[in-house]
Amino acid sequence: MASKTAAAAVDFARIYSKLGLGKETVASLQAFRKRHADAQRIHAQLSSQPTTVDVAHYRNILKNKSIVDEAEKILKDFKPVTYDVGAHVKAIEVFEAKAVENARVTEKKIDEELKDLQATLANIEEVRPFDELTVDDVGSAHPHITKAVETMVKKGKWTVPGYNEKFGNLSLM
Amino acid sequence: MPQLIPFYFVNQLSFSFLTLLALIYIFSKYILPLFTYQQVVRMYITKLSNK
Repeated sequence: MASKTAAAAVDFARIYSKLGLGKETVASLQAFRKRHADAQRIHAQLSSQPTTVDVAHYRNILKNKSIVDEAEKILKDFKPVTYDVGAHVKAIEVFEAKAVENARVTEKKIDEELKDLQATLANIEEVRPFDELTVDDVGSAHPHITKAVETMVKKGKWTVPGYNEKFGNLSLM
Repeated sequence: MPQLIPFYFVNQLSFSFLTLLALIYIFSKYILPLFTYQQVVRMYITKLSNK
């Protein structure tokens, strides 16, 4: 499964430091990793232990052979209880699917944010000096100005109060 | 028929009225608002730079 190999290749140090995760998220992630490491350690420990009993050895040591026989019989009859892990596996798979979907949504969000940032960066890079600014630039940057002018014109208000005082009047009439 | 002479100017009259109407419409809708727009924008950026 692709997601499993991806999960195996995760660089956790980078995730902790670079992604800017919340404290809670990092803590739960660390707890999860610890649980996984503990489980792995215990599993390795247990699987390295011997699973067979040397009955002949006990038969040589002990005088009471019938106990040894009985123990051997019990040992032979013993069958480990089998657990149905299907439900657990299913739950884990559901959880994994959810996690992968969450990750995908986050990725999409980050992509959009990146696109926004790129646009802003392009804006900053292509910025022009103040004296090269055009009326349309200002209008597109602040659409409320265009709307205000439209309503002014509709109301028959063609002049701006204080304009002539500030910039003078060039008209000859 | 000299009494018809005034009617020879009807086409000129109607065309001049139509032209006048068209000019008024074009100026009031497309050209003159640009001046107001420019004035508003000038006031706006002047206020911005004074802040």
